Amino acid sequence: MDISKPATTVTCWVDLYSDKMYTWALHKTSSIEIAEDLVQETFLAAFQSIRKFEGKSEPQTWLFAILNNKIAEHFRKQFRNPAITESQSDTSIFDTLFDANDQWLKEQRPKQWQDEQTNLLDDAAFIKILQACMGKLPGNWMAAVRLKYLEEKKGELICQELGITPTNFWQILHRAKLQLRKCLEVNWFTP
Amino acid sequence: MKKLMYYLMLSCKKATELIEKRTLVKLSFKEKVQLRMHKSMCDACTAYEMQSGKIDELLHKHIHNVSVDNAATLNNEALKETIINNIPNN
Repeated sequence: MDISKPATTVTCWVDLYSDKMYTWALHKTSSIEIAEDLVQETFLAAFQSIRKFEGKSEPQTWLFAILNNKIAEHFRKQFRNPAITESQSDTSIFDTLFDANDQWLKEQRPKQWQDEQTNLLDDAAFIKILQACMGKLPGNWMAAVRLKYLEEKKGELICQELGITPTNFWQILHRAKLQLRKCLEVNWFTP
Repeated sequence: MKKLMYYLMLSCKKATELIEKRTLVKLSFKEKVQLRMHKSMCDACTAYEMQSGKIDELLHKHIHNVSVDNAATLNNEALKETIINNIPNN
């Protein structure tokens, strides 16, 4: 690799790795537009900081490290987006599930699910429902859920990066989980 | 005894909150006891906990499922072209 010609090098990397990176980003973000933007930004960042890449690692490893940072940054931004932070304090999900004493409403009490299937994730129909249910979550609830599973980090660390208290974070996750569970139950698992 | 029971009583809403909280941070001793007591009396929250764990597992696997090499790679020629055209001095 000749890093004295960054444009040539990066062009070559685009040819070799951009499809893989796009596939990865699309899977993580579920949005064509966002995935394309993030891959584009990654190559631009790679081009600008190519001197830092000293061939110590595989180009693919380096590029994916940048891309993963961009994906996490995207969800952090989405989480903080003031246009959607109203939903942060949206507690209406509680009213649909719990009574005035915060006990389960009679018809909402979770019952055992009848699911015999072990490899649900191999079932395209289930994946479709899972994605649809994720899509129904308010934007920053979804960002919180994504960040929780995306970053193999301790809760405290995610909160630091988001600039919120842990309490705030798990309360959002609590509401998101309640809604997600309900959606999956209605559409897939029948008690 | 009544006082103690009151101290340890949780609502279902609070119990489900602790179930989620536990996946991120360690619960205090009091919270652990409260949750265990609550579950011993509440089938609904016990079922919730199992289902919540299942959803965690599914989401975790789903989000990490595509490893770089075994993914069915999608082609995006238009994207390639855009990126290459946007690289300076090209």
